[in-house]
Amino acid sequence: MTDVQQSRIAAGAMTADTAFRVRMRRLFGVLQGMASNPATVIGLVIIALMLVMAIFAPWLLEPNSPDPYQMPRDWGAVRKPPGTPGHPLGTTNEGGDVLYGVIWGSRTSLQLSLMVVGSTMIVGTIVGSIAGLVGGWVDEVLMRLVDVFLSIPELIFALAIAAVLGPSFGNIILALAVVLWVKYARIMRAQVLQIKQHDFVDAARVIGDSKLNIYLRDILPNAVTPVTVQATLDMGNVVLIGATLSFIGLSEAGIAEWGVLVSEGQAGIASGRWWASTFPGLMIFLWALAFNLVGDGLRDALDPRTEGR
Amino acid sequence: MLDERHCAAPVASVRDLKVYFQSKRGIVHAVDGVSFDIRDGETLGLVGETGCGKSVTGRSFLRLLPVPPCILAGGSVTFHTHVVCKACAGVGCEACDGTGRQAGRDRSVDLLGISSEDMRRIRGDRIAMIFQDPGKALNPTLPIGAQIAEVFLQHRTEELIALAGLPPDTVGAIRRFASQSPRFGDGWLLSLPGPRRAQRLRVEESLAKMVADALAETQVPNPGKLMARYPHELSGGMRQRVMIAQALACNPDLLIADEPTTALDVTVEARILELIRNLQQRRKTSVLYISHDLSLVRRISDRVAVMYAGRIVEIGTTAEVFANPRHPYTRGLMAAVPGADTPRGKLAAIRGTVPELVDPPTACRFAGRCPHETGTCRSNDPVLEAITPSQSVACFIDHPAQSGERPTYERVTK
Repeated sequence: MTDVQQSRIAAGAMTADTAFRVRMRRLFGVLQGMASNPATVIGLVIIALMLVMAIFAPWLLEPNSPDPYQMPRDWGAVRKPPGTPGHPLGTTNEGGDVLYGVIWGSRTSLQLSLMVVGSTMIVGTIVGSIAGLVGGWVDEVLMRLVDVFLSIPELIFALAIAAVLGPSFGNIILALAVVLWVKYARIMRAQVLQIKQHDFVDAARVIGDSKLNIYLRDILPNAVTPVTVQATLDMGNVVLIGATLSFIGLSEAGIAEWGVLVSEGQAGIASGRWWASTFPGLMIFLWALAFNLVGDGLRDALDPRTEGR
Repeated sequence: MLDERHCAAPVASVRDLKVYFQSKRGIVHAVDGVSFDIRDGETLGLVGETGCGKSVTGRSFLRLLPVPPCILAGGSVTFHTHVVCKACAGVGCEACDGTGRQAGRDRSVDLLGISSEDMRRIRGDRIAMIFQDPGKALNPTLPIGAQIAEVFLQHRTEELIALAGLPPDTVGAIRRFASQSPRFGDGWLLSLPGPRRAQRLRVEESLAKMVADALAETQVPNPGKLMARYPHELSGGMRQRVMIAQALACNPDLLIADEPTTALDVTVEARILELIRNLQQRRKTSVLYISHDLSLVRRISDRVAVMYAGRIVEIGTTAEVFANPRHPYTRGLMAAVPGADTPRGKLAAIRGTVPELVDPPTACRFAGRCPHETGTCRSNDPVLEAITPSQSVACFIDHPAQSGERPTYERVTK
């Protein structure tokens, strides 16, 4: 490699947008760490399959109603067992195709988890950073607020909010977002407080860096690891809680959502019609399991103590 | 050489500096009335044991102390900024008589009083600092080239733009890029193909060149390659060289070195010291060298200040202080350094421990540990006063006029 090329590479490594490329190298290392753990690989495979299913839902099973997220009703074929022509996984009491619910439900779940985790992560990170950086009474006020939120069990709290707002899928998203941001605020604050003490933050101040720069370049990149792990774990948990709320009937009836489907099928379990609840239930289980496996694997891969193993 | 130094104007003057810390047990007087000058181009060694306030003193130059719990209770740190000679950029040429500074363009600022924006401009540019542990002082998530580049982006935007061959009145995204104050969308603006992208690449290349030059100064092999490395990929000595490169990148007037070799092994230490010394002499930088290692300070400093319990007890030229230590604490410290001929199993420790600095009474701080102590030491506070033109000491032995009674060294022989 010539010197010119080398200095180009080095120059590239120094600016924010091209530092990205150098960072990819690190990301690759983390991925390698995750790939060496079989449980994590299983989780990743399940997630990949779920994503494929969500993305290709319109091709896998074409919707025949104007709103594809509504379960299509085939009133001529109610309570059919799996294997029925046209309904490979059977139908519900109201003639809903279970396979349709399973496939389109993955889209609903993805929507739910991405929106909830995305918004809570952003809000929590901002609130936690402010609390950790500013300190003093601001920290005190924000953290007492977080304590209030944390003092109520997640599920009960989300249930109360969703119930007050009225039954709708959008309200479930809102309720979960309101409940879950506090975790990120807690984690982020603890991280910022710890990283603030590091010499390299002082060193950045010593060379005359602005506060915003110190936050963006020194504190934030070093603080995101536990937030990322929590977000991965929450991707699964959110669907679990969301399904619970749907099951109780806090979602619109008749939408293609796993929790709704389980609830629709539960009346038939006693009479031997196991399929309407089992398949969507299995999906909820797999989804939560996969993200928990990956979250754990990610935590191990990012843990510096296990690095290089 | 020494005489010339004595006449040299101070680059920084500390006057009656008082830094206290709020604690549960009361107010800790960590630095309690410290006064000294750092003269132009000299190395001042600041020695003392752990907790005597030497790091706090060093950090107050850059206002690096967390304001609660820390209280700046009084005093001033005056810094005399210089304007770097335009002809040679501080290296020293005929136009500036080898000083690297433009004559008559100095001004003084009180570092404790200026706005944080002004402070930010001084940090890294006029006053720099090297930390004790280079492993902790580098951001683990950024390549070291990016961390050195930061100094240039903060303080050398104009030079960067000029070096990239852009007109000095360049504005907009490119200038924001070169001063590290991007706005939302600048990343796209500078990445999409077009003239802006070409300009950005030129600025990046100039930046890489400046960083490589700064690194080359510290005699690292292959600076071009080193820039893309992360701190954890380097050895301790390498990391400290990177820190030094970063600290000296902008040719500061004053370098605060807070035990820069404590975390390194002895062979690396020697090389790092040599490096600091060379760069300092070449660039006429003043150095405040904080250390607890007497033999090391003796090797590298022109003058030495000995701190004890938040006070300077003795200050003078290295030669004088080491040849004729006057304060009992200084004497104790020097006796405690084991030499090759120290008999086995015997180490001369100073008896007692450092006093609590919570609301200290009016008394000599060393009273209680001092072998020459008299009643007057317990009720009066000795003041730092000159005994020769270049050596001062705060002890009643040398300043009987400060109290009625005179302690003497003779008592120790009993």
